[in-house]
Amino acid sequence: MNRNNFLPHVALALVLILVAAFAGQLRRWQKQWKSQVRIIPAEKKHPATIDEIALTDSLHLGRPEILVRFKPGVSEETIDRITSQLNDRVEDRIENAPGLDAIDDLDNEDATELVAQYSKMPEVEYAEENYEISLPDAVEGPLVPVLPHDPQFSDQWALSNEGQRGGKKGADISAPLAWATTTGSDKVVVAVLDSGVDYNHADLVNNMWVRPANLPPYHDDDLGIIDDVNGFDAIDNSSDPMDDNGHGTHCAGIIGAEGSNDIGIAGVDWKVQIMPLKFMNAGGFGTTKDAIEAINYVIERKKAGVNVRIISASWGSTQKSRALEDIIRKAYEEGILFVAAAGNSSTNNDRAPHFPSSYNVPNVVSVAALDRNDQLASFSNYGPKSVAIAAPGVDILSTWLGNEYEEKSGTSMATPVVAGVAALVLANEPGLTVDELKKKLLTSVDKLDSLNGKVTSGGRINAAKAVE
Amino acid sequence: MSLTKEDALSKAQKDLAKRLNVEESSIKEKSTDEVDFPDMALGAGTEDEMSGQMLTRGWRIRLDSAGKTFEYRADKNQVRLFNFKGKNYKI
Repeated sequence: MNRNNFLPHVALALVLILVAAFAGQLRRWQKQWKSQVRIIPAEKKHPATIDEIALTDSLHLGRPEILVRFKPGVSEETIDRITSQLNDRVEDRIENAPGLDAIDDLDNEDATELVAQYSKMPEVEYAEENYEISLPDAVEGPLVPVLPHDPQFSDQWALSNEGQRGGKKGADISAPLAWATTTGSDKVVVAVLDSGVDYNHADLVNNMWVRPANLPPYHDDDLGIIDDVNGFDAIDNSSDPMDDNGHGTHCAGIIGAEGSNDIGIAGVDWKVQIMPLKFMNAGGFGTTKDAIEAINYVIERKKAGVNVRIISASWGSTQKSRALEDIIRKAYEEGILFVAAAGNSSTNNDRAPHFPSSYNVPNVVSVAALDRNDQLASFSNYGPKSVAIAAPGVDILSTWLGNEYEEKSGTSMATPVVAGVAALVLANEPGLTVDELKKKLLTSVDKLDSLNGKVTSGGRINAAKAVE
Repeated sequence: MSLTKEDALSKAQKDLAKRLNVEESSIKEKSTDEVDFPDMALGAGTEDEMSGQMLTRGWRIRLDSAGKTFEYRADKNQVRLFNFKGKNYKI
């Protein structure tokens, strides 16, 4: 080899090697790409995602309907004549594949028929539809569970059961997965109709409803004006619903103990507004009349513009009251869900009803209690016709009087779990009607053998499914 | 008000003596057991009463008067007479 020609030859060799390497990499990229995408026929488009639109635009796909490979020797003039006769046009000639043309049909004929037409022609080697390429659905990725920073969260088996204290892993409401979608909203108000709420509890104080400055004090023709800054006490018809029992504070914490605040526990809703209402006294019992008065208050506040969409009612008796039923129906007409405890007598509510949970009013959701092994709690009432759903209700840790926390059991505890999930759903879909909200809760359950023939839905509430 | 077991027993004995119109000393304690009642009315709700549906720790007090047994239910907040002539009473 001539020494003067040596360098140009080396340079040429290097270029060839680089081209070959690039071509190899190109093929690998092509293979990878094919394995990651799914292909949808152009004429069978679904509503495009933003990613799909971007990809389609970047590849200039979507306009030519078919790809046709003409046989060797067929001239461009012949191809133009054929396409012109069919009122088509060559949209692009693929230079590196002689005879391969992307053809656009100007009549917008169906791509399948076009393929059939071209395939019959003697000049054509093959014809196929121009498929649109889109990214796979998996690009959105699975939801990642979200865990709160609350020191006693690991004791809240109802929210996340890891098998602690002999429980069954997964026997919970899937709260961390739900929190990947929403942790609640301070736009949603939940009325806790109970023994009042300790609205100064450190884990509740930031999630308590406070009457907005632009909302006038509560006025009742018989009771007069009540300055309901913190809620309503129907026992004394006063403005102070402070809890002197603990039951209402416990229920409030289950719904909405502030989440991830490095204090105590997390509520089903990290953010929510708890409207405290008191109709039960320090002993934990109250009258039907005061319950009615408190529900009336909720309805009036809803009418005045407060977004109170849920009443959590962890109480009841076997006494039926037509008046109580009527006011709950009125709440339904105002778009308020009424979540009620099924009762703790281990009996069948279909045969021995428990009220208000057994009222046949569309907004009533009757709740049974489950233990940490997904078994119906030994004390829980049930009813394949009259009890709608089950939720964790045994050894439930929540807020108590004096900035304390206690574990309690009962359908009282299962009820605010469901009320809390309802609030999560509304945080995610605020426009739902009360009927849609109830349906969403009952169709989002995990079916359990232990609940077969025990509750209407046959399952335990699942927050993650409810907010999907 | 936070009742002890002894307070509750004493209140129950006084109440029964009054209802039966007998001397308090004739009312004998048969048993007092610590139990979980099904609700906050201790499973002894009265007419027109709603109660929290939370299991409530308290005492079942059985008293004897002239060979008949009467049941009282109590916790730190209250004492109730259970199923006396078909009715429950808050004491």
